[in-house]
Amino acid sequence: MCFKNLPIEFDEQGNARLREGVSNPYELSEPRSYVKAISDERESPRIRDWMIDPVTRVAGALAVHTKLDFEKRQATEGHSMAMLFRGYEVILKGRDPRDAIDISSRACGVCGGVHATVSSLTIEQAFGITPPPMGVVVRNLGEGAEMLYDHPLHLGLLAGPDYSSALVEITNPEMVDRARQTEAPGGGTHGYKTIGDIMDALNPLTGEVYVEALGITRLAREMCSLMYGKYPHPSTLVPGGVMTTISTSTFNEFYARLVKMFDYSKKIATLWDDLVEFFYAYDPAYALVGDRPINLIQTGIWDDPEAYDGTYANANAWGDRRFSTPGVIIDGQLVTTRLHDINIGIEEFVEHSYYEPWTANGARRPTDPVGNPLSPNHMWNKETIPKPTGRNFKEKYSWSTSPRWDRQTMETGVYGRMWTTALAQKHPKNDFFEATGDGIRIMMPEASMPEMELFWKIPTRLNALERNRARAFGVGWTAAITMACLLQGFEYWRKGETKVHTEYTIPKDERVAVGFWEAGRGFLTHHMTMDKGQIQNYQILTPSTWNASPRDPFGQRGAYEEAIVGTPILESVSDEDTKGIDVLRTIRSFDPCMPCTTHIDTGRGVITREVNSCACTLD
Amino acid sequence: MTVHVPVSTDVRPGINRVSGKPDPLAPIGLRSRYESRKRNLEIGPLDKIYLFWLVGASCDGCTIAVTGATNPGVEDLMAGNVPGLPKVELIHTVVSVESGPEWVHNLFMAEAGKLDAPFVVCWEGSIMDESLAGDGYWMGLGEDPETGRQITSLEWLSRISPKAAAVIAVGTCATWGGIPAATGNATGAMGVMDYLGTDYRSAFGVPVVNVPGCSPIGDNVIETAAAVLLFLQGLAPLPEFDELGRPAWLFSETVHRHCPRAGYYEEGVFAEEYGGKECLVELGCWGPVVQCNIAERGIVNGVGGCMQLGGICIGCTMPGFPDKFAPFYSIPPGSLLSTNTSRMVGSFIRRLRRLSMQDKNRSPRWKAEAPSGWARYETPPQGAAKTVHRFYNAYQESKKSYK
Repeated sequence: MCFKNLPIEFDEQGNARLREGVSNPYELSEPRSYVKAISDERESPRIRDWMIDPVTRVAGALAVHTKLDFEKRQATEGHSMAMLFRGYEVILKGRDPRDAIDISSRACGVCGGVHATVSSLTIEQAFGITPPPMGVVVRNLGEGAEMLYDHPLHLGLLAGPDYSSALVEITNPEMVDRARQTEAPGGGTHGYKTIGDIMDALNPLTGEVYVEALGITRLAREMCSLMYGKYPHPSTLVPGGVMTTISTSTFNEFYARLVKMFDYSKKIATLWDDLVEFFYAYDPAYALVGDRPINLIQTGIWDDPEAYDGTYANANAWGDRRFSTPGVIIDGQLVTTRLHDINIGIEEFVEHSYYEPWTANGARRPTDPVGNPLSPNHMWNKETIPKPTGRNFKEKYSWSTSPRWDRQTMETGVYGRMWTTALAQKHPKNDFFEATGDGIRIMMPEASMPEMELFWKIPTRLNALERNRARAFGVGWTAAITMACLLQGFEYWRKGETKVHTEYTIPKDERVAVGFWEAGRGFLTHHMTMDKGQIQNYQILTPSTWNASPRDPFGQRGAYEEAIVGTPILESVSDEDTKGIDVLRTIRSFDPCMPCTTHIDTGRGVITREVNSCACTLD
Repeated sequence: MTVHVPVSTDVRPGINRVSGKPDPLAPIGLRSRYESRKRNLEIGPLDKIYLFWLVGASCDGCTIAVTGATNPGVEDLMAGNVPGLPKVELIHTVVSVESGPEWVHNLFMAEAGKLDAPFVVCWEGSIMDESLAGDGYWMGLGEDPETGRQITSLEWLSRISPKAAAVIAVGTCATWGGIPAATGNATGAMGVMDYLGTDYRSAFGVPVVNVPGCSPIGDNVIETAAAVLLFLQGLAPLPEFDELGRPAWLFSETVHRHCPRAGYYEEGVFAEEYGGKECLVELGCWGPVVQCNIAERGIVNGVGGCMQLGGICIGCTMPGFPDKFAPFYSIPPGSLLSTNTSRMVGSFIRRLRRLSMQDKNRSPRWKAEAPSGWARYETPPQGAAKTVHRFYNAYQESKKSYK
């Protein structure tokens, strides 16, 4: 079925098991060749070895090493480095499991609510409780608001400036001239007559799109605070639902702000659509910037209040009822939407990360709670030991680990969840969006601007421009889902089902649980084991851990690295004046978020010294 | 491929050869020199200030919180749109246009005293003890261009803090250590004050300024910075700070004193389950002893706030956070005494108030039932209540200064 590298097969009921006769099923095989190999390994003389430390306009501490080959006119190397370690999970050990909500939330202040939410899901699974429908709705509304802050922040403040006239005029001066003469097809919606006007609006600090994005993020955070109390770091999320005191005002105030998002969604999607098409028309080679195989992994968000029961056993069923469908896409094909398959296919490797391996004694938990096989490298078996050492690209160079699914490099993002949802066509029926198999049709209601249908079409490639375009449509898609969730909320309110929380007692026996949710950037899981009412082990796997991962034991690059290598240099200035902007556009298109990428459990405090070879950049 | 020929022969640093204009991807310390903002009406001597926003063990939540400030917004400060406040040239990994070596160059300029205006350091996140990281690092930030040596963000704080006009610790990690410094931390995490020590003074003679909160309220951070800048401009008095370097006007009150649920506490009514509208103390709220102003200020643009929406206070602004407040969802041990006292007194007060409300909810015209089509409203007070109201009203009348 969905696995081709791991020796896992399925019986008639769809339960996974290890293939018989495989003596060491999770053995690390020989290194494979890179997915995206460079045509000629001979290095040409005109090379710029470039260490970008720090990469700016990303969240958190990221550095990237690359080589710009001016003869081949492409980037020929990529090393992605997470630069920060904080050791959060060890702080969680031995605590009251409920404290994980507030502590793990502090893993990331950019995606400042998703960790608290997924932690609540994890703990309620361990406690064996199901939240009442209104509790699920309040979570959904908070998540919707959070995404409505997150995507505009990236498009306006982080990625947008790379496409602004201020920057393009020093990398591709003729392009700005052409843009000023090119009429923008969507001008009637977004208000900019030419592509040049759009590029002016994207200018950092002064451009209209930049400044408006800041205001929109604040508006969305007001919405989020109405459900979560506080943002970042919510104060009302608990296992079994929420502790939000909802009232008529809560919904009315939320709705009054949501309608403003409808107009913004129309504008931002049309604007990016015009900009992306202009870049392709100007030079089709822009399709190769940040291009990598279409391998995506998503955990899904926005639960159906009637279907969600919080259990692991029924995760495949309630997962499929999410507005955003979980799933794995390999080479553009959807191979599964089952949360169990997604979970058991994951392994985390540390060969090139500042940690020591922990698998010498095999798997502590050979199976998940329903009997599916687990790798010793799975998060439920993980025990990570930090070991900061000097950087060496042949050995260790990042605080991020290398998660892989079925031993393949995966990527995740808002575009990924749109992609899985569009292909799966399993989401609950509603008036505001519909997956069509080849895309998502989004119906944006009339507000100050007339009603409008937006159609995001599944792209043929996964590159920097398409990541940003999908994110821009993702604003409208999120607004559509949020509206659908709000109507559900009104309905429960009308029926008098206003209870937001289910009572619980803290179990004293051993429990194993996982929460599946998504951040703005996609995939998010928390894996927990608890006993005697205390946390034994807590593992956080974040979207940027997937995207920013270094190489794995099989020699495969991480997603940023794959996307950078082979990215063409399309600037029209001399080698000396070249800024490498397309490499930066590539990295930023993922919307990197590093704070929560590196919070791995520390088992010991012993730090070993190693010889630091500073010749690492000569690799 | 046609290669664009540079049009400019201007070789000054920070000028782009292609455009002949300041290069948006050059270090801001270089390109900012060419921006002239001469006006006829200058309010205060400082026209510009550099702000280095550096991070340690941080989640970037404080950065996000600060972008939520509204009066003024960060965009107004960065554009120099607030007369009397210097334009803020921000060096911040989340916001800066330039990357990598160009970004790091700004730090070298600050250290060497080559910036054309004073600079302030805002530090977000805990300080991690890099001596525990061997030849590696907990938090790397930039390379030395000469040697390729990895520099840590902590090293930068050590190198530039003596020359900074002020060091402002933003958020609870930076002020007191916060969650990375909780029991079990492997990185030796601590606050800025712990690291720089009692004797630290900035170039302008100021100890570390502390604006706590996890995350802080954006307007608290911007307002504190603005108050300090207005003082430096000679326009406003020196803002008051408490013994721990907190802005006194923001942090001297407990959050409970301004909590919209504090009245329930007074009347001895406590929420028994999550989602309730009453006082949250028995669900684990520490508000009565926590110094914070979120109850007045909300979290973004006056909206939200922990207790306003039903969330308990977990003490995130306090030096004892998180360990002295954990486990979060159990009742603070000391509150049993105080809530039960409040129950006893409150139940009496609550009944008296209900009695008064009953009377004040009736127009003097209504001699019998209220003429409401919605429901049958309470009948007029009878018996003892009627007598109490008669005497109370007579007393109230006698106190009126007009007749």
